[in-house]
Amino acid sequence: MTNTQVRFPSFHIISYYTGYIIFGIAVLMGIPLITSLLMAEWNPALDFVISMSVSVIIGLLMMLLGRRTRTDELQVDWKFGFIIAALSWIMLMFLCSIPYLLSGHTKSLLDGCFDVMSGFTTTGLVLTQNLDHLSTGLNMWRHMLTFIGGQGMVVLALSFLGKHIGGAYKIYCGEGKDIKLVPNVKYTARIIWKISVIYLFTGTLALWICGMVIGLSPLSAFLHGLYIFESAWSTGGFAPNTQNMMYYHSFAYEVMTIVFFVLGSLNFGLHYAIWQGKKKEMIKNVEVQSFFITSFLLSALAVLKLSQSGVYTNAVSCFRRIVYNVLSAHTTTGFGNVYAAQFANEWGDFGILVMVIAMLIGGSACSTAGGFKGLRVSIVFKGIISDVKKILSPERSIRVIKYHHIKDNVLDDGTVKASALVIVCYVVLFAITTLLGTFYGYPLAESAFEAASVTGNVGLSIGVTGAAAPALLKVQYILAMYLGRLEFLSVFALFGFVIGGIKKHA
Amino acid sequence: MRKALKQFLLTFMFSACLFVPAEAIKTIDINSLVTCAETYDNQTVTVEGEAIGEVLDRGDYAWVNINDGTNAIGIWMTVSEAETIENFGDYKHIGDTLKITGVFSRNCTEHGGDVDIHCASMEITKSGYRIDDKVSSSKAVAASVLLCSALIIVYIYFKVLKRLKP
Repeated sequence: MTNTQVRFPSFHIISYYTGYIIFGIAVLMGIPLITSLLMAEWNPALDFVISMSVSVIIGLLMMLLGRRTRTDELQVDWKFGFIIAALSWIMLMFLCSIPYLLSGHTKSLLDGCFDVMSGFTTTGLVLTQNLDHLSTGLNMWRHMLTFIGGQGMVVLALSFLGKHIGGAYKIYCGEGKDIKLVPNVKYTARIIWKISVIYLFTGTLALWICGMVIGLSPLSAFLHGLYIFESAWSTGGFAPNTQNMMYYHSFAYEVMTIVFFVLGSLNFGLHYAIWQGKKKEMIKNVEVQSFFITSFLLSALAVLKLSQSGVYTNAVSCFRRIVYNVLSAHTTTGFGNVYAAQFANEWGDFGILVMVIAMLIGGSACSTAGGFKGLRVSIVFKGIISDVKKILSPERSIRVIKYHHIKDNVLDDGTVKASALVIVCYVVLFAITTLLGTFYGYPLAESAFEAASVTGNVGLSIGVTGAAAPALLKVQYILAMYLGRLEFLSVFALFGFVIGGIKKHA
Repeated sequence: MRKALKQFLLTFMFSACLFVPAEAIKTIDINSLVTCAETYDNQTVTVEGEAIGEVLDRGDYAWVNINDGTNAIGIWMTVSEAETIENFGDYKHIGDTLKITGVFSRNCTEHGGDVDIHCASMEITKSGYRIDDKVSSSKAVAASVLLCSALIIVYIYFKVLKRLKP
């Protein structure tokens, strides 16, 4: 049977690949299930059996419905790639929230979905109640979600796909990642996971040792080390306790997390280049340069203002409370070692604005971080400089502007336009989300802070996000996290597909 | 006798005027403390909350984190005080409820700008306990039914796949 003989090929393709990704995540639910059994947490174990079974049933039924994709080797168009990525995320948001709901730690399905989306998008905002009494199994699941979300669920599924990978690159791009480390997308996906898993082992080991030194018991130090590494590397921001990083009261632990979340916010292409011995890439890469310049400037401005106002009085507290939080915001991690109320009451409008800028700029493209991305900011910045230079140069002179990102690239108008377009989309989303916050009566500065946090997938809170927040605001925050993470295009493609109808595309 | 009674009454009234009642130590919830951190900075405060997690031993002193349902905060206390706490809150336990009186800092210079309380006195007002985690029968039934259904679907999937193979 050829492609033309299959009715509604779009439906088959979307159903098969979405089912495949759901099935893959269902298999991963085995890890928190085993954790629950090992820790003798029987009710959480049952929660995971239920969630896993439901996900397997839905995943396999979708694969069965789209089985022609496998037998007829239907090719994935660009639009399908984007739709599959966007649809998988929505379906998984509901399926992965089942353990939260069954645990009784979320007040509603909406709150459960919020936390799952927060995990997947590596945001790190939390509506789960009573974190200090959460089961080990559910904690494992929360942190796994953020770790998987950071690398990408589609990336994970693709790395296990066999030979049936027609158009896999298009699904991969749909998840906001567009770098090809090697010509084959399956191997690119595997390299991304290989890099992450190697860091996972070394990072967990380092935090495990540090945890024992600061007074945690060996088992607890291991679990905390694993959770915190997963969160730091994926620039997530989840932590197993209510106090987030304040639980540990440790400078050493904080410094280690800085190292891991800065590494996590760097482009996978950069990690791969360094692994291949191209160490100069670390200095030459435009994204790294942009990150260090903006980090330094924003940290310096915040330190200057907050030390002047007498909030933080010595160098150590300035570093631990200001630089840490600015870096956490800039890398879109969301680990916090000050209370939400402190941002609102002590940081002042200037401090809040610095944080908003840091959160919106975000980390690197094709990393675990969110935000505009340093690459786009530098491209637009270089584009502006280039235009100014063009105006000032003689009309006949031709200038070629280049930027270095993994290799030397020529800066053309198309690249600048594409980068500027995504930044405009982020700004519009940020403005709408801020507007809704102010509509519900939150002060402008607080609404803007929280809007930047969800749009940039950061996770720091100034106190707006909470179980008592209006339902519509929670929905908007979910949408902002989702759009911000998938970088708009996939979600727009899904909306277009739904509005246009399956038949039209068949 | 009358003179003595007068003297007694006068003395009583006079001393009553001078008497300043000792202010009962009022417990503040942690969230109010954090929200009004500037007001309470370097003041002696009393908070009451459940000990959570575990003791973070740091030589002669230790950190104990407490949560009162509104928020959580770290308490800096001596190891001997920390050792008297028997239960810490986690999935399987409700921790001991501690009443802590100590000096609150919004930017503790000793601890790198931490928001904390340096404990002056501690009292265990309620003992914690182990939570009885009974297996929910309805969950067990639902899990069994769904697991069987999932296995059937897996079987059907591989059967269909085999049939479709060229």
